[in-house]
Amino acid sequence: MTPRTPVIGVVGNDAPRQLLLAFGARPVRLTGSWSGVVDPEAQQLLGATDAAVARLLTELRRGAHPLDGLIVCNDSQAHLRLFYVLRATGSEMPVHLLDMPREPSSPARRFALFQLEALAAFCAGVTGAELSAASLAAAADAEAALGDAVRRLRARRRAHPPLCAGADAVDALLDAARMAPAEAVARLDAALTPAVSGATRVHATGSSHPDATFYRLLEADGRVVVVSDDHDTGDAAWLGEAVRGETTDDVLDALIDAHFARIATSATALSSDRAMLTRDVARAADADAVAAIIRELDEAPLWDLADQRDALEGTPFVSVRVEPGGEQDSARDLQRDLAERRVSA
Amino acid sequence: MSGRGAEGSPRLESAAAATAFQKEWFLGLADRAREGEPIALANADAPHEVLRALGIPYVVNQWWSSIISAKRAGPASLAAVAERGLPDDSRQYDVLPLGAQGLAAEIAPWGGLPEPRFAIAERSGDVTHKIFEQWGRRPGTETFLLSRTAAVPAPAGWWDRVANDWEDIFGAARIVLLEGEIRMLAATLAHRVGRTLDLEQLAEIMALANEQAEWNRRTRDLLAAARPLPVAVTDIIPAVMVPQWHRGTPWAVAAARRLHDEVARRIDDGHAVFPGERRRLMWIGRGLWSDLEMYRSFQEEFGAVFVWSMYLAIAADGYARYGDDPVRTLAARFVGLTDLLYVPPMSSSWYVKEALAHGADGVVHLVADDTPAPGVITAALEERGIPVLEIRASNADPRATVGVRQKIADFVRERVPAAR
Repeated sequence: MTPRTPVIGVVGNDAPRQLLLAFGARPVRLTGSWSGVVDPEAQQLLGATDAAVARLLTELRRGAHPLDGLIVCNDSQAHLRLFYVLRATGSEMPVHLLDMPREPSSPARRFALFQLEALAAFCAGVTGAELSAASLAAAADAEAALGDAVRRLRARRRAHPPLCAGADAVDALLDAARMAPAEAVARLDAALTPAVSGATRVHATGSSHPDATFYRLLEADGRVVVVSDDHDTGDAAWLGEAVRGETTDDVLDALIDAHFARIATSATALSSDRAMLTRDVARAADADAVAAIIRELDEAPLWDLADQRDALEGTPFVSVRVEPGGEQDSARDLQRDLAERRVSA
Repeated sequence: MSGRGAEGSPRLESAAAATAFQKEWFLGLADRAREGEPIALANADAPHEVLRALGIPYVVNQWWSSIISAKRAGPASLAAVAERGLPDDSRQYDVLPLGAQGLAAEIAPWGGLPEPRFAIAERSGDVTHKIFEQWGRRPGTETFLLSRTAAVPAPAGWWDRVANDWEDIFGAARIVLLEGEIRMLAATLAHRVGRTLDLEQLAEIMALANEQAEWNRRTRDLLAAARPLPVAVTDIIPAVMVPQWHRGTPWAVAAARRLHDEVARRIDDGHAVFPGERRRLMWIGRGLWSDLEMYRSFQEEFGAVFVWSMYLAIAADGYARYGDDPVRTLAARFVGLTDLLYVPPMSSSWYVKEALAHGADGVVHLVADDTPAPGVITAALEERGIPVLEIRASNADPRATVGVRQKIADFVRERVPAAR
């Protein structure tokens, strides 16, 4: 009889999947959703919080996700609140906060190591497994293969014409973040959409997308295709990151390097860094326009808009704030704005 | 001159003195800054003591924001923020000073804040680092950001232990991180201004700050036990907060002691803010600076007095830290100060303790967008039979606080029975 693989939920984009895989766990990224029920009590507990996270708390309180443990990353106030609420309300499931610092100073690196060691201890408690150089190497192989598949998907999205629409790409990336690595590779490689010809190529920035609903609305009439993005459930998802090292300490050290090398989610990054990332990815994807899609109460991306607008001088840049339940109207507004800018492929 | 409050009660001399001192201090600082002396803008939860030890005068971002609000310059400041393409409906309390830099001197409060040489903040929430990034782009201003770690652990019942057992309360790793960053910050600032950090002087500053906190604790204990309320909360706030921003100076210790002695005298004299006191209210959250009269506006109709704000209470319970190494002890002061106010169960257990000690019959809970898990605080109070009104608004944005008085009146009428 094959032993059951422990399942560890992950909220946020800071958890090094390689570490979880090395403990024999299957990481399952949890994002909430664009639409769906929000339990009033969950909303009340969280306060003014991004609705996607309120929906996630609703799901967790209803036991919608069978998990052996949950890791919450302190990469946004919404996620941190989720952790605080779960802790304060006595979640039955083991819950752990991963609190990675943001600037690579010596004290911050020491704290990052403390955080990864605590994460490893949590995973050991959940899985009953031990970490070794061999298990880390095997996990690196699996995750590296996933990274290759992510890059193949990225290339298909950026082809002329694109070979995968944005909605299908987000679907595939989110699925992959919930599957065992080998299945995830197959899922990503299967993400192929009939060629979209003549559509405006759009780079998406702003809030992360908990599911593909908004992209699907935006791409519905075929005039727009999202060829790239810089939010953390799209191209910036920390998926497929693998590091190597002789010892466990070496691997943890390399994971800390990888953490600090990223330009992380807007809530933790400087606006200037986010703007450069938006510009560079949009240019690499040969985007005709950039669209900032920002959910209400996800305020960090609002502060990036001015810098992004400056950095993208010469490229049409539009933004929209999406109220809960307003996805359809906002997508239509965005389509109209893109058309008014006479953005053509 | 002590002046008189709106209801005829004489204003607390400590409050009047603190307010007068602060304006004079600010104008003097502004003159020196315009003549070239480097000053700093520091967030409320930044380690101010290191600036004091280095002889760098500092203005606290949130205090300056409260002045901008009180002088009715908030809307113009937010408009200036919007003109830069930045949101005017996000973290208004933290961003008002940035916007106010764009106001002409004749309409800026007290002539405006001279450009700071340094801007210092912890990476609190999703946006503080971005606001201070903007400060760092102003000519002549250099921004420094410190890490803001999450509240793990977060024990309930921290208030009797935190002054000495801070490593257990906040966790050693968090303190070590901030300690390291404070040392790096101090080294850089010292280099910039051509001075060195004198650790003995820093230890003296820490000792004075602890002395100040002990006076505040005694004052809070007096007020908790006093019936009826002897001093208006609107007097207590400036009398505590102005010295708080001068923490670590002999003047601040003397001001805290003066407040204590004046409160004690009022209690001995049987003074009542409102003789017909029938309901005691607690105000959780930041002060409503643009409408301080609001705090007194429920007395005549309901006999309702606000007996509590966080400013004295956190000054009493949250600041004292004793330790051998002044930098490490300073890190322990700030590493989780905000958590004590906002993160359950640290926050919720403390608010319940304070509500019971002060005999609060009802609570008005102003919930800003950046208040984490406010529902847990509200639930903890309600479970103890204390009704809570949650108001979701930014205290610094007059647009967001329209109708607050009516909401409170309805709440008091419907949910807070007269207890006496």
